[in-house]
Amino acid sequence: MVPTVHREHKHYDLSKFTILLVEDSVYMQTLISSMLKTFGVGDIVVCDGAEDAINLLTIMQARKQSRHINNVDIVLTDWLMPDGSGHELLQWIRGNDKEEICFLPVVVISGYTTERLTGLTRDLGANETLVKPISGKTLASRICTVIDHPRPFIRTANFFGPDRRRQDMPFEGNNRRSATPNIVDME
Amino acid sequence: MSIGDDENAPKAELYNRSNALKGKVGLNVQTNAEGQLDPEKVQEADALIKDMCKDCNKNIGEQLASLVRAWASMATLDQGEARTQKAQEVFTFAHDIKDIAALCGYGLAAHFAESLRDYVTEHSFADKNQRIIIQAHIDALVVIQKNNLKDDAGPVAEELKETVKLAISKYQ
Repeated sequence: MVPTVHREHKHYDLSKFTILLVEDSVYMQTLISSMLKTFGVGDIVVCDGAEDAINLLTIMQARKQSRHINNVDIVLTDWLMPDGSGHELLQWIRGNDKEEICFLPVVVISGYTTERLTGLTRDLGANETLVKPISGKTLASRICTVIDHPRPFIRTANFFGPDRRRQDMPFEGNNRRSATPNIVDME
Repeated sequence: MSIGDDENAPKAELYNRSNALKGKVGLNVQTNAEGQLDPEKVQEADALIKDMCKDCNKNIGEQLASLVRAWASMATLDQGEARTQKAQEVFTFAHDIKDIAALCGYGLAAHFAESLRDYVTEHSFADKNQRIIIQAHIDALVVIQKNNLKDDAGPVAEELKETVKLAISKYQ
Protein backbone atom coordinates (compact mmCIF):
# COMPACT_ATOMS: atom_id res chain seq x y z
CA MET A 1 0.00 0.00 0.00
CA VAL A 2 1.35 3.38 -0.95
CA PRO A 3 0.80 5.78 1.97
CA THR A 4 -1.30 8.85 1.27
CA VAL A 5 0.77 12.00 1.37
CA HIS A 6 -0.92 14.96 2.90
CA ARG A 7 0.44 18.09 1.25
CA GLU A 8 -0.04 21.04 3.52
CA HIS A 9 1.64 23.47 1.10
CA LYS A 10 3.10 24.98 4.18
CA HIS A 11 6.17 27.11 3.56
CA TYR A 12 9.05 25.74 5.51
CA ASP A 13 10.68 27.91 8.10
CA LEU A 14 14.39 27.09 8.01
CA SER A 15 15.39 29.69 10.59
CA LYS A 16 16.26 26.97 13.12
CA PHE A 17 18.39 25.07 10.65
CA THR A 18 22.17 24.87 10.63
CA ILE A 19 23.63 23.84 7.30
CA LEU A 20 27.28 22.93 6.83
CA LEU A 21 28.48 23.86 3.36
CA VAL A 22 31.75 22.24 2.27
CA GLU A 23 32.98 23.81 -0.96
CA ASP A 24 36.47 24.88 -2.02
CA SER A 25 35.52 27.39 -4.72
CA VAL A 26 35.01 30.84 -3.19
CA TYR A 27 32.65 31.69 -6.03
CA MET A 28 30.41 28.68 -5.36
CA GLN A 29 30.69 29.20 -1.58
CA THR A 30 29.37 32.74 -1.96
CA LEU A 31 26.63 31.71 -4.33
CA ILE A 32 25.32 28.72 -2.39
CA SER A 33 25.53 30.54 0.96
CA SER A 34 23.55 33.45 -0.49
CA MET A 35 20.94 31.06 -1.86
CA LEU A 36 20.61 29.35 1.51
CA LYS A 37 20.26 32.73 3.22
CA THR A 38 17.51 33.58 0.75
CA PHE A 39 15.76 30.34 1.70
CA GLY A 40 15.85 31.60 5.28
CA VAL A 41 18.40 29.14 6.69
CA GLY A 42 19.30 30.37 10.18
CA ASP A 43 22.92 29.34 10.35
CA ILE A 44 25.31 28.53 7.51
CA VAL A 45 28.76 27.22 8.37
CA VAL A 46 31.27 27.12 5.52
CA CYS A 47 34.36 24.92 5.22
CA ASP A 48 36.62 24.71 2.19
CA GLY A 49 37.46 21.02 2.38
CA ALA A 50 36.78 17.72 4.13
CA GLU A 51 39.65 18.23 6.58
CA ASP A 52 38.13 21.45 7.95
CA ALA A 53 34.66 19.95 7.99
CA ILE A 54 35.81 16.88 9.92
CA ASN A 55 37.56 19.08 12.50
CA LEU A 56 34.51 21.28 12.84
CA LEU A 57 32.04 18.42 13.22
CA THR A 58 34.32 16.79 15.79
CA ILE A 59 34.46 20.01 17.84
CA MET A 60 30.72 20.60 17.50
CA GLN A 61 29.98 17.07 18.63
CA ALA A 62 32.33 17.38 21.60
CA ARG A 63 30.66 20.63 22.66
CA LYS A 64 27.10 19.54 22.01
CA GLN A 65 26.14 20.28 25.60
CA SER A 66 26.71 23.97 25.02
CA ARG A 67 23.56 25.87 24.21
CA HIS A 68 25.60 28.26 22.09
CA ILE A 69 26.54 25.56 19.62
CA ASN A 70 23.91 24.34 17.17
CA ASN A 71 24.14 20.87 15.79
CA VAL A 72 24.45 20.64 12.05
CA ASP A 73 21.17 19.57 10.44
CA ILE A 74 22.26 19.02 6.84
CA VAL A 75 25.68 18.74 5.17
CA LEU A 76 26.02 20.03 1.62
CA THR A 77 29.35 18.98 0.20
CA ASP A 78 31.18 19.41 -3.06
CA TRP A 79 32.79 16.23 -4.36
CA LEU A 80 36.16 17.34 -5.72
CA MET A 81 38.18 19.47 -3.33
CA PRO A 82 41.96 19.64 -2.90
CA ASP A 83 41.86 19.74 0.91
CA GLY A 84 39.89 16.58 1.45
CA SER A 85 37.22 15.39 -0.95
CA GLY A 86 33.51 14.81 -0.51
CA HIS A 87 34.31 11.11 -0.72
CA GLU A 88 36.54 11.33 2.37
CA LEU A 89 34.00 13.40 4.27
CA LEU A 90 31.12 11.06 3.47
CA GLN A 91 33.14 8.02 4.49
CA TRP A 92 34.13 9.70 7.74
CA ILE A 93 30.55 10.72 8.55
CA ARG A 94 29.00 7.32 7.85
CA GLY A 95 31.84 5.52 9.59
CA ASN A 96 31.62 7.65 12.73
CA ASP A 97 30.57 5.95 15.95
CA LYS A 98 28.73 9.05 17.26
CA GLU A 99 25.02 9.01 16.51
CA GLU A 100 24.90 12.79 16.00
CA ILE A 101 27.37 12.43 13.15
CA CYS A 102 26.78 9.10 11.41
CA PHE A 103 23.09 9.80 10.74
CA LEU A 104 23.66 13.32 9.36
CA PRO A 105 21.83 13.96 6.09
CA VAL A 106 24.43 14.52 3.37
CA VAL A 107 23.75 16.08 -0.02
CA VAL A 108 26.63 15.74 -2.48
CA ILE A 109 27.02 18.55 -5.01
CA SER A 110 29.05 17.50 -7.99
CA GLY A 111 30.23 18.86 -11.29
CA TYR A 112 30.46 15.32 -12.63
CA THR A 113 27.39 13.99 -14.32
CA THR A 114 28.23 10.34 -14.65
CA GLU A 115 25.93 7.60 -13.41
CA ARG A 116 29.01 6.00 -11.90
CA LEU A 117 29.43 8.93 -9.51
CA THR A 118 25.76 8.94 -8.57
CA GLY A 119 26.05 5.21 -7.84
CA LEU A 120 29.21 5.77 -5.82
CA THR A 121 27.74 8.55 -3.67
CA ARG A 122 24.65 6.41 -3.03
CA ASP A 123 26.80 3.41 -2.07
CA LEU A 124 28.84 5.57 0.29
CA GLY A 125 25.64 6.64 2.04
CA ALA A 126 24.77 10.05 0.57
CA ASN A 127 21.13 11.00 0.97
CA GLU A 128 20.95 13.00 -2.25
CA THR A 129 23.18 14.03 -5.14
CA LEU A 130 22.87 17.41 -6.82
CA VAL A 131 24.55 17.76 -10.18
CA LYS A 132 25.91 21.19 -11.09
CA PRO A 133 24.96 23.64 -12.43
CA ILE A 134 22.68 24.26 -9.51
CA SER A 135 19.51 26.33 -9.55
CA GLY A 136 17.14 27.60 -6.89
CA LYS A 137 14.72 24.84 -7.76
CA THR A 138 17.22 21.95 -7.61
CA LEU A 139 18.77 23.14 -4.35
CA ALA A 140 15.34 23.65 -2.75
CA SER A 141 14.18 20.26 -3.98
CA ARG A 142 17.12 18.39 -2.41
CA ILE A 143 16.62 20.16 0.93
CA CYS A 144 12.89 19.39 0.88
CA THR A 145 13.53 15.73 -0.01
CA VAL A 146 15.85 15.40 2.98
CA ILE A 147 13.17 16.93 5.23
CA ASP A 148 10.14 15.16 3.75
CA HIS A 149 11.54 11.74 2.90
CA PRO A 150 14.17 10.68 5.42
CA ARG A 151 14.76 7.09 4.35
CA PRO A 152 15.49 4.63 7.14
CA PHE A 153 19.16 3.83 7.62
CA ILE A 154 20.47 0.37 6.85
CA ARG A 155 23.54 -1.27 8.31
CA THR A 156 24.98 -4.34 6.66
CA ALA A 157 28.47 -5.80 6.67
CA ASN A 158 29.62 -3.40 3.96
CA PHE A 159 27.14 -0.52 3.93
CA PHE A 160 25.77 2.07 6.29
CA GLY A 161 23.48 4.80 5.06
CA PRO A 162 19.98 5.65 3.89
CA ASP A 163 18.08 2.76 2.34
CA ARG A 164 19.14 2.68 -1.29
CA ARG A 165 15.71 1.45 -2.37
CA ARG A 166 13.67 4.59 -2.84
CA GLN A 167 10.26 3.04 -3.42
CA ASP A 168 8.10 0.56 -1.56
CA MET A 169 7.26 -1.67 -4.49
CA PRO A 170 4.57 -4.28 -4.00
CA PHE A 171 6.02 -7.77 -4.50
CA GLU A 172 3.81 -10.75 -5.14
CA GLY A 173 6.34 -13.52 -5.84
CA ASN A 174 7.95 -15.99 -3.45
CA ASN A 175 9.92 -14.44 -0.64
CA ARG A 176 13.53 -15.46 -1.30
CA ARG A 177 15.11 -13.05 1.14
CA SER A 178 17.44 -14.95 3.41
CA ALA A 179 17.00 -12.68 6.41
CA THR A 180 14.66 -9.98 7.59
CA PRO A 181 16.44 -6.91 8.88
CA ASN A 182 16.68 -6.21 12.53
CA ILE A 183 14.53 -3.13 13.11
CA VAL A 184 15.81 -0.57 15.55
CA ASP A 185 13.31 2.15 16.46
CA MET A 186 15.05 5.29 17.62
CA GLU A 187 13.73 8.46 19.14
CA MET B 1 16.52 -9.69 17.15
CA SER B 2 16.86 -10.99 13.65
CA ILE B 3 14.20 -13.16 12.06
CA GLY B 4 15.44 -15.07 9.07
CA ASP B 5 15.13 -18.29 7.16
CA ASP B 6 18.89 -18.85 7.29
CA GLU B 7 20.77 -18.06 10.47
CA ASN B 8 24.07 -17.88 8.59
CA ALA B 9 22.83 -15.26 6.15
CA PRO B 10 24.33 -11.77 6.42
CA LYS B 11 22.49 -9.63 8.94
CA ALA B 12 21.03 -6.22 8.21
CA GLU B 13 19.87 -3.63 10.70
CA LEU B 14 17.22 -1.07 9.86
CA TYR B 15 17.15 2.19 11.81
CA ASN B 16 13.84 4.05 11.86
CA ARG B 17 14.57 7.40 13.43
CA SER B 18 12.05 10.07 14.30
CA ASN B 19 12.18 12.95 11.81
CA ALA B 20 13.66 15.80 13.80
CA LEU B 21 14.00 18.02 10.72
CA LYS B 22 10.28 17.94 10.09
CA GLY B 23 9.68 19.19 13.60
CA LYS B 24 12.21 21.96 13.08
CA VAL B 25 10.39 23.31 10.03
CA GLY B 26 7.12 23.33 11.91
CA LEU B 27 5.39 20.20 10.61
CA ASN B 28 3.82 17.46 12.67
CA VAL B 29 6.42 14.68 12.86
CA GLN B 30 3.73 12.03 13.40
CA THR B 31 2.08 12.59 10.00
CA ASN B 32 3.42 12.21 6.49
CA ALA B 33 2.52 15.79 5.65
CA GLU B 34 4.83 17.61 3.24
CA GLY B 35 5.51 21.27 2.75
CA GLN B 36 7.71 23.28 0.46
CA LEU B 37 10.05 26.23 0.37
CA ASP B 38 8.36 29.49 -0.43
CA PRO B 39 8.38 29.65 -4.28
CA GLU B 40 9.15 33.36 -4.08
CA LYS B 41 12.34 32.59 -2.15
CA VAL B 42 13.29 30.00 -4.75
CA GLN B 43 12.82 32.64 -7.45
CA GLU B 44 14.92 35.06 -5.43
CA ALA B 45 17.69 32.45 -5.29
CA ASP B 46 17.56 32.10 -9.07
CA ALA B 47 17.75 35.89 -9.35
CA LEU B 48 20.93 35.74 -7.24
CA ILE B 49 22.49 33.34 -9.72
CA LYS B 50 21.51 35.63 -12.57
CA ASP B 51 23.02 38.58 -10.74
CA MET B 52 26.30 36.79 -10.02
CA CYS B 53 26.48 35.69 -13.64
CA LYS B 54 26.72 39.32 -14.77
CA ASP B 55 30.41 39.06 -13.90
CA CYS B 56 30.80 35.53 -15.24
CA ASN B 57 33.25 36.34 -18.03
CA LYS B 58 35.38 38.38 -15.62
CA ASN B 59 35.39 35.50 -13.13
CA ILE B 60 36.31 33.03 -15.84
CA GLY B 61 39.14 35.41 -16.81
CA GLU B 62 40.52 35.44 -13.25
CA GLN B 63 40.40 31.65 -12.97
CA LEU B 64 41.93 31.30 -16.41
CA ALA B 65 44.81 33.64 -15.53
CA SER B 66 45.56 31.45 -12.49
CA LEU B 67 45.33 28.33 -14.64
CA VAL B 68 47.76 29.78 -17.20
CA ARG B 69 50.20 30.71 -14.40
CA ALA B 70 50.02 27.22 -12.88
CA TRP B 71 50.50 25.65 -16.30
CA ALA B 72 53.48 27.89 -17.12
CA SER B 73 55.26 27.14 -13.85
CA MET B 74 54.50 23.46 -14.20
CA ALA B 75 56.30 23.38 -17.53
CA THR B 76 59.52 24.46 -15.77
CA LEU B 77 59.38 21.64 -13.23
CA ASP B 78 60.70 18.11 -13.53
CA GLN B 79 58.66 15.13 -12.52
CA GLY B 80 58.13 15.22 -8.78
CA GLU B 81 55.92 16.42 -5.96
CA ALA B 82 55.99 20.12 -6.91
CA ARG B 83 54.93 19.26 -10.43
CA THR B 84 52.14 17.00 -9.21
CA GLN B 85 50.90 19.86 -7.05
CA LYS B 86 50.87 22.21 -10.04
CA ALA B 87 49.00 19.58 -12.06
CA GLN B 88 46.41 19.46 -9.28
CA GLU B 89 46.09 23.26 -9.52
CA VAL B 90 45.54 23.09 -13.28
CA PHE B 91 42.88 20.47 -12.68
CA THR B 92 41.16 22.53 -9.96
CA PHE B 93 41.11 25.75 -12.02
CA ALA B 94 39.73 23.89 -15.04
CA HIS B 95 37.07 22.31 -12.83
CA ASP B 96 36.12 25.70 -11.33
CA ILE B 97 35.92 27.34 -14.76
CA LYS B 98 33.64 24.53 -15.89
CA ASP B 99 31.37 25.06 -12.84
CA ILE B 100 31.16 28.83 -13.22
CA ALA B 101 30.68 28.71 -16.98
CA ALA B 102 28.02 25.98 -16.82
CA LEU B 103 26.16 27.83 -14.07
CA CYS B 104 25.97 31.00 -16.14
CA GLY B 105 25.20 29.43 -19.51
CA TYR B 106 28.67 29.92 -21.00
CA GLY B 107 28.42 26.59 -22.77
CA LEU B 108 31.54 26.93 -24.93
CA ALA B 109 33.87 27.73 -22.01
CA ALA B 110 32.25 24.94 -19.98
CA HIS B 111 32.86 22.52 -22.85
CA PHE B 112 36.60 23.24 -23.12
CA ALA B 113 37.14 23.50 -19.36
CA GLU B 114 35.48 20.12 -18.84
CA SER B 115 37.47 18.59 -21.67
CA LEU B 116 40.69 20.03 -20.19
CA ARG B 117 39.81 18.81 -16.68
CA ASP B 118 39.13 15.30 -17.95
CA TYR B 119 42.27 15.27 -20.09
CA VAL B 120 44.39 16.37 -17.12
CA THR B 121 42.83 13.59 -15.01
CA GLU B 122 43.71 10.91 -17.52
CA HIS B 123 47.23 11.94 -18.57
CA SER B 124 50.56 12.53 -16.88
CA PHE B 125 51.96 15.46 -18.98
CA ALA B 126 55.19 13.53 -19.31
CA ASP B 127 54.80 13.43 -23.06
CA LYS B 128 55.41 16.56 -25.16
CA ASN B 129 52.38 15.73 -27.31
CA GLN B 130 50.13 15.70 -24.26
CA ARG B 131 51.37 19.18 -23.39
CA ILE B 132 50.49 20.38 -26.89
CA ILE B 133 46.93 19.11 -26.43
CA ILE B 134 46.63 20.87 -23.08
CA GLN B 135 47.98 24.08 -24.60
CA ALA B 136 45.38 23.83 -27.37
CA HIS B 137 42.63 23.68 -24.75
CA ILE B 138 44.06 26.67 -22.89
CA ASP B 139 44.41 28.69 -26.11
CA ALA B 140 40.79 27.96 -26.96
CA LEU B 141 39.68 29.08 -23.49
CA VAL B 142 41.70 32.31 -23.82
CA VAL B 143 40.03 33.12 -27.17
CA ILE B 144 36.59 32.38 -25.72
CA GLN B 145 37.17 34.56 -22.67
CA LYS B 146 38.71 37.48 -24.56
CA ASN B 147 35.85 37.53 -27.03
CA ASN B 148 33.19 36.86 -24.39
CA LEU B 149 31.87 33.93 -26.44
CA LYS B 150 28.93 32.27 -24.79
CA ASP B 151 27.18 29.84 -27.08
CA ASP B 152 28.21 26.26 -27.50
CA ALA B 153 26.99 26.34 -31.11
CA GLY B 154 27.70 28.54 -34.12
CA PRO B 155 30.59 28.86 -36.60
CA VAL B 156 33.21 30.22 -34.13
CA ALA B 157 32.38 27.54 -31.56
CA GLU B 158 32.55 24.81 -34.18
CA GLU B 159 35.88 26.13 -35.49
CA LEU B 160 37.42 26.14 -32.02
CA LYS B 161 36.13 22.66 -31.27
CA GLU B 162 37.51 21.43 -34.59
CA THR B 163 40.94 22.96 -33.87
CA VAL B 164 41.24 21.22 -30.50
CA LYS B 165 39.86 18.00 -31.94
CA LEU B 166 42.54 18.13 -34.64
CA ALA B 167 45.25 18.71 -32.05
CA ILE B 168 44.02 15.71 -30.06
CA SER B 169 43.89 13.40 -33.08
CA LYS B 170 47.29 14.57 -34.33
CA TYR B 171 49.21 14.43 -31.07
CA GLN B 172 47.47 11.73 -29.08
